[in-house]
Amino acid sequence: MNAVASLLEYPSSYIEKLGNIHRILPWIMAFVVLLPLPHILETTLNEYYVYLANRICIFIMLCVGLNIVKGFCGQVTVGHVGLYAIGAVTSALISLHLGWSFWISLPLGVFAAGLAGVIVGLPSVRLEGAYLALATLGLGESVRIMIAVTPFFGSSTGLISIPSPAIGGFVFDTYRSYYYLVMTAALIGIYLSFSILRSATGRAFMAVREDTIAAAVHGINVTKYKLLAFVISALYAGAAGGLFAHMPPGYIHHNNFTIIEMVTLLLMVVLGGIGHIWGGVIGAIIVTIIYDQTLEFYFYQPLLFGLSMVLIVLFMPRGIGGMIDRYLVTKRFMAIQEGKSNGAS
Amino acid sequence: MSKLNKTGTVLGLAAVMGVTLSTFALAADIRIGITMRMISENGQKYGQMVMDEFDMINKAGGINGNMIKATLMNDECKSDKGVANAVKLVAQEKVHLLIGSSCSSVTLPIVDVTSKAGVPQLVPHSTNDKITKKGSAWVFRVPVSGRYYAGVNAKYVGENIGKKIAYLCAADAASQNDCEAMQAQMKAQHGVEPAYTAQVQEKEVDFRTHMQKIKNANVDGIMIAALAETMARALIQSYEAGIPASVRRIGSSSASNSPVPKIAGDAAKGVFFAAAYAAADTRPIARMFNEIVKSRYGINSPDHDFSQAYDLVRIAEIALGNADLKLDSASLAADRTAIRDAIAGVKGYQGLASGPISFCAEATPQCRDGNRTAVLIAYSKGGENYKTEVLARVTMPIDFGL
Amino acid sequence: MALLETIGLSKSFGGLRAISNLDVDVEAGSIHGLIGPNGSGKSTFFNLVTGVYQPDPGSKIFFDGLDITKSPSHKIGALGIARTFQLLRLFSEMTVLQNLMVGYHTHVSYGFLKTIFNNSAIAKIDAQTSDEMMELLEFIGLADFASMPASELSGGQRRLLALGRAMAMRPKLLMLDEPAAGLSPVNVDRLMAIVMALKERFGLTVLIVEHILKVVMETCDTVTVLDYGQKIGEGSPSEVKDDHAVIEAYLGQEMDDDEIRAALNA
Repeated sequence: MNAVASLLEYPSSYIEKLGNIHRILPWIMAFVVLLPLPHILETTLNEYYVYLANRICIFIMLCVGLNIVKGFCGQVTVGHVGLYAIGAVTSALISLHLGWSFWISLPLGVFAAGLAGVIVGLPSVRLEGAYLALATLGLGESVRIMIAVTPFFGSSTGLISIPSPAIGGFVFDTYRSYYYLVMTAALIGIYLSFSILRSATGRAFMAVREDTIAAAVHGINVTKYKLLAFVISALYAGAAGGLFAHMPPGYIHHNNFTIIEMVTLLLMVVLGGIGHIWGGVIGAIIVTIIYDQTLEFYFYQPLLFGLSMVLIVLFMPRGIGGMIDRYLVTKRFMAIQEGKSNGAS
Repeated sequence: MSKLNKTGTVLGLAAVMGVTLSTFALAADIRIGITMRMISENGQKYGQMVMDEFDMINKAGGINGNMIKATLMNDECKSDKGVANAVKLVAQEKVHLLIGSSCSSVTLPIVDVTSKAGVPQLVPHSTNDKITKKGSAWVFRVPVSGRYYAGVNAKYVGENIGKKIAYLCAADAASQNDCEAMQAQMKAQHGVEPAYTAQVQEKEVDFRTHMQKIKNANVDGIMIAALAETMARALIQSYEAGIPASVRRIGSSSASNSPVPKIAGDAAKGVFFAAAYAAADTRPIARMFNEIVKSRYGINSPDHDFSQAYDLVRIAEIALGNADLKLDSASLAADRTAIRDAIAGVKGYQGLASGPISFCAEATPQCRDGNRTAVLIAYSKGGENYKTEVLARVTMPIDFGL
Repeated sequence: MALLETIGLSKSFGGLRAISNLDVDVEAGSIHGLIGPNGSGKSTFFNLVTGVYQPDPGSKIFFDGLDITKSPSHKIGALGIARTFQLLRLFSEMTVLQNLMVGYHTHVSYGFLKTIFNNSAIAKIDAQTSDEMMELLEFIGLADFASMPASELSGGQRRLLALGRAMAMRPKLLMLDEPAAGLSPVNVDRLMAIVMALKERFGLTVLIVEHILKVVMETCDTVTVLDYGQKIGEGSPSEVKDDHAVIEAYLGQEMDDDEIRAALNA
């Protein structure tokens, strides 16, 4: 970990300087760097890796959103996939039945998920910990069951032939073109999570996570911020759902939104580093890649993932992001001590 | 400061991802990709049977001297995993032929993947009629389509049992489809509405309330449309509720799966269902097949998912033998097209299926639902050593249910 | 003028009356002490004033002329009441600076939407706030630890941080719940010196609960003595010191006057 962190020292200080010129500049650079990725993946590897990149971007959006409510605001939610499903189904239905364009159906899906986020968040006002997890689990599962039993929502057959997004004549119907949509969305998502979490709102979330009474006494409206965190994470989930629904081959089915998916998301966030601003991103990338690389051992995969979850929680509860933080804190502490001893001598 | 440190981390991981190269064969192999639901004991055996049969072909010298390289993947009956598998098989393994999947909800999106990539797809188990209605030129269905099954059941029930039918419909794709189709057919063929309809969860365990209501409704028959374990539980509870044996129990397509008689025991007796294959079939090919399955997989009366997997391999064998394949790195698209055309050229294949299987070139359900013959099977004995008998064989007209 | 005034303040938990019919006036600009044996209701009083508990019907709490009896904690905080906790309740996974920034929350001039649509503007505002907070950290002597998680601090530093976090609220009334608990005598003096300096600098009113009587006796203008949730004495430290009821309740009646004086001065 030391080696990795010191390796990153140089480029990051360089990017830091750029960031001072303009806050968005590093993000635009990241965008430019990521632009040729599908081309590189498709020529050096093959289209499947472009597909994986698409999936990773969608997982990143889900995890970044989940990290806001769980990692930063400390609210244990297991209903995130329900919101993801609402975003997906809403956007899919609007474009299938009303024939409206993706550019309208997606925001409407995001909006619907946001509204549902309030409902999923309401129990958090009174409940904490395992009880809150149970309540949100119930809400998330009931969304899935609603979809499973209602023919209009796709029921057992699923929603078929959800149209691909298009701008003018250009249709995003290949993984390569769709990548630009999900990659842009994921980058914007990460950028916004930075904006939110590095502001007074983010600090309020953390204060609520650390101690609700102390937070309230220091002027933070705990209920408001809990709900806000749920709604923000719901908006992320809704956007991810909409993007998933319209991704080729444009098909969604209620079994894409089960508790297994939820556990996978949790694994991603926990591995990446709960409450670490990059945690969701790191986790989404690593878990998706590991999952893909272990596909042939499908029989042992659930075991592998379950065990690793337990081991992570036991031995590195703050995940990879937490380990990096730890390293940086130790370094800072050493610097302070050094400063003191220098001052003394 | 730390924020940007972490930017670097992500880019580093992206680079790691780029390094994870996977190999794919470019030798003169016929590459076949299979994605199936490998989560239940039987599910794994279906997949194993396909692999074993391809192995046997290789041991016997391959197809026109070419070896088959089959890759089997598990999709857990989840559409996103199935799509991922299909994309991986098509783009990475560069398969000439794709076989999949067990579940309609997985096959449906895969049809779009193979259609876009131009890869012939043989469907082993899925019965949802929308699969062939999508109009893909690349898809061929070996099992009997749900649209035919519905007609067979309704015809027999209306003529031999009665018209007052209660329905218990589970939420999985196949059962919903079976349920809706049966109700529509009862209306179309006999002009009757359901006497009672209950929608239940995919893995529901308690049906007693519904059974009581059905008992009070005094019906001629009950259609139980659910996956095997669920159906078995519903059957047992129908007797516990006191519905007499004279009220015939009609199973959906998954009634053919062996857990139904094994779990339901005596409650399975008299249950009948439409299927593509009857283990009670007395033809030599069927007796030979039953022997194979028994010796290889320890299963006494193979259900039609076994027979369809076997028929599918035979059809693939015929088509691959007829196709003019170059099998070099430049000929992938041409080889795929040749295989598709060769499958479309399979006519009157007589295998384990109860009637001949024929495909044709047009991208229509008439051409791609190759198997039109269903057999009505009844359990004459439940339990571990269950027994079946053939009630009737019905071949439906090619346009039926469209 | 009384900055904080409670009239008939009562609180029962089930059958137990933790506070009963309590009238307390805290004069603006004063340092007001609140003493009493364990379980006499001091912390309950703090929790009632800061909205952590809801008082029983009939109670009234006024702050700066406003009725805050039914206000939620965060509104009371925004009005200018800051407090510390006996058990500190620091945001331990957040950095020292972030703890103070949370304290400053009610003075943040931008809303949530602005964080999304104009984050370069808020970055400037935050940078300014963080400079101000660094100044405060400098004042309480924790500037070196600004970017360390609060959990890394020593016990004394944590007490200072709790004080700093309360001060970041720019309060009118600072309520300290046993600020010196567990500190060595030297550190107690240092802490109280900082409190006094802060009071002078920001023109604070201070309400202090403390077990170390020396602290109360040396720094307070007025002392209120509680026992079983009731006020049993009030006045200047020297008056309270000589009040017989207080002595009995607080120290037991077995001691003679010299022993009591010794205890109070220890």
